[in-house]
Amino acid sequence: MGAAGVMLSVDRLNVYIQASHILRDVSLAVGPREVVCLVGRNGAGKTTTLRSILGYLAPQSGTIRFLGRDIAGRRPFEIAQQGLGFAPEDSAIFADLTVAENVEISTWTRKTSRTAEERLALAYAVFPALTRYRARKGTQLSGGERKMLSIARALALDPTMLLLDEPFEGLSPAIIPEIGQSILEITTMGHAILIAESNIHHVPEYTTRLYVIERGEIVFSGPPAEVWKDEAVLRIIGGTPSWQSFR
Amino acid sequence: MLVHLANVLLSGVFHASILFLVAAGLQVVFGVQRIFNLACGSFYALGAYVGVSFVQASVQAGLPPGLFVLALVAGGLCVAVVGPVVERGLLRFVYDRDETFQLLLTFAVVLMLEDVIRMLWGTSPLSTGGLYLLYGQLKVLGVTVPVYNLIVIGASLLIALLIGYMLARTKFGRIIRAAADNREMSEALGVDMRRVYVRVFTLGTLLGTVGGALVIPATAAMTEMGIELIVEAFAVVVIGGLGSMRGAFVGALVVGVLRSIAISTYPELEMLLIYLIVIAVLVLKPRGLFGGAAA
Repeated sequence: MGAAGVMLSVDRLNVYIQASHILRDVSLAVGPREVVCLVGRNGAGKTTTLRSILGYLAPQSGTIRFLGRDIAGRRPFEIAQQGLGFAPEDSAIFADLTVAENVEISTWTRKTSRTAEERLALAYAVFPALTRYRARKGTQLSGGERKMLSIARALALDPTMLLLDEPFEGLSPAIIPEIGQSILEITTMGHAILIAESNIHHVPEYTTRLYVIERGEIVFSGPPAEVWKDEAVLRIIGGTPSWQSFR
Repeated sequence: MLVHLANVLLSGVFHASILFLVAAGLQVVFGVQRIFNLACGSFYALGAYVGVSFVQASVQAGLPPGLFVLALVAGGLCVAVVGPVVERGLLRFVYDRDETFQLLLTFAVVLMLEDVIRMLWGTSPLSTGGLYLLYGQLKVLGVTVPVYNLIVIGASLLIALLIGYMLARTKFGRIIRAAADNREMSEALGVDMRRVYVRVFTLGTLLGTVGGALVIPATAAMTEMGIELIVEAFAVVVIGGLGSMRGAFVGALVVGVLRSIAISTYPELEMLLIYLIVIAVLVLKPRGLFGGAAA
């Protein structure tokens, strides 16, 4: 790929961890303003895919291009500075730092056309609930608040694209629509988003494209509506055709 | 009796203020880089020797002897350049290795620096002679104390406050705390860990070398002073809790004062008493008084 209109393109990526072949010829692409979901069971290779894109794991072969530049083999901080934001599955909130301190770090490491104040204001605007907790330490937050903070922190980087690893995992059903709404708001700001998700029912309805990964291989790619017609794939990800997520 | 107690306390606090500087260096490096840097003792020894040389040079250059404190601090600051050299030249290759490997490497640095010191300054103890009492003495709580000791105690307190301010309020301090908590996540936010590591290690080295330089008027520079201090700094860290600055502060006070009490009552017990406390802490509160929280 690598054509204009593609923000991130991963092409025939092969990743080994120790001697195990974890990702096999994984290819995927995310365009501007797209919300792409990478769906798969636990251990299917979702997090490995994200970690490879972010530079934590070095691929054996394949290319990763972000904004036209080859980023395979770059260090994670360089990739982040190029505008790839990340909210990991475990949120990874800095426990010793307050909410405000967690959010502001990335405004010092990456300079963009927006000022630090604008970027912080945007991050809080997407998750207004965090405004009340600015002075709280990371340890005093609930699971949902940690998820929000993790995404807000990635947003303060003023990224061109966001990688979200299981943004809905472990959250109470009541809060899932709230976070889903916030993610939608992010896309309207012009960011592209790649979400790794193990629960097909959590895939937001505004998802533009879906990839299904199983045992390190992409077994489906296409619009979300298509996946519900593919029984073989549905069996893998455990979706029931009749019941769909919060629509 | 009371005078005796005050005497013991003051000399204990003086030793504690030096010990704090070195232990603080050990803590900040461990907190961020997860390396237990045995070489902090060697940096301390190096600071002491360079301090002596700087004072001698400044006196020879005709500077007023009263300025010897400045010469000491300058010496301590200058020799801190070994920090980035050791970090970039050696440590960065072992960050992903086993702790034992890292420990062995820093121990190798200890042995190497000891030889460097022997090579440059010889084996006989060096001191700055009577300069120590140049600032006169003061009567505090009925005890005569060299003013210099009070200056060092004050300087150490000031440095402790500055470190506290740095960690809590500055960008660098917040990045240090974030990096100590989660290195990978810090990188994902664009933090260049290589730069953080160089700076943190330089800071840790600097605290050691300045500590060594400041202690020198009160004692003599000896080749084995580094190893002796590592043992005490180790006790400080166990008592205070690994990686905690507050722990370094409280631990240094405990060790400094206990050591002073032991020396004045039953000198043979000096290390034994400290180790009894260390064992008690390890048994009753294995993570130390302030353990758990990073930096």
